[in-house]
Amino acid sequence: MTEKCPSCGSCGMPLDRPDDHACGDVRIPFCRYCTDAAGELRPYDEILRMNADHFVRSQGVHETAAQRMAAELLAGMPAWRDHGTRGHAV
Amino acid sequence: MRCFAERGILATTTADIAAAVGVSHGTVFLHFPTREDLVIAVIDEFGRRLAAAFARDLPRDASLQGVLDAHLAALREFEPFYARLVAEAPLLPSPVRTTLFTLQNAVAFEISRAAAAEEKRGRVRRVAPHLLFNTWIALLHHYLANRELFAPGGSVIAEKGAELRRHFLHLLHPSARRHES
Repeated sequence: MTEKCPSCGSCGMPLDRPDDHACGDVRIPFCRYCTDAAGELRPYDEILRMNADHFVRSQGVHETAAQRMAAELLAGMPAWRDHGTRGHAV
Repeated sequence: MRCFAERGILATTTADIAAAVGVSHGTVFLHFPTREDLVIAVIDEFGRRLAAAFARDLPRDASLQGVLDAHLAALREFEPFYARLVAEAPLLPSPVRTTLFTLQNAVAFEISRAAAAEEKRGRVRRVAPHLLFNTWIALLHHYLANRELFAPGGSVIAEKGAELRRHFLHLLHPSARRHES
């Protein structure tokens, strides 16, 4: 987002404090939600579902629309930009 | 961005933009193969600037009022453009609607986080996160979409922002009458 407030390279969540990063490690460019306990990026399908579920909870949109918005959001993220052409997660 | 804010996103032509930046009409298409590419690029850049402004104005561990104030401050900075975007969004290309949705998601996340913390302290009552955010954004967008009625020739955020924030917080006060949906 900005130098002051970077964002997760997988879902775009602001990383404005160390514990927002995976494992609390500011060198990892992903958030704690998109990564597992070891700081590894979770599979694409899992992150897609997490984001869609979050959109349903936070904005009350229909599940189908939430899935579509999540897919469009992830398509623009560095971690998933080539996902559609490779057919599997990074 | 200024052209879109003044004339409207749909009504602005590539010729208008070429004239505004002082280049030939053909030069615009060297950078953007289609008008839709130009619109998407401009709104993508707008999204980055608005998100940066919101993050800049958001205090660490912001209270709910702090989040609302940061949102209002960011919107005020880009009010004419944002009002056009809100009004025209349903007719704009899908990537534009995704950008707007993503911007709203960042605000929804912060509002939800701040409200949950204040609910634990008994300072706001429990409201479902989506209704919390949608109530705030509906209120704001109504005033922005009708800004010429609420603040002719001026900034509706400057004129009415504090009142809307006070009203929203009042609705969430634990003593406010509870309405179940």
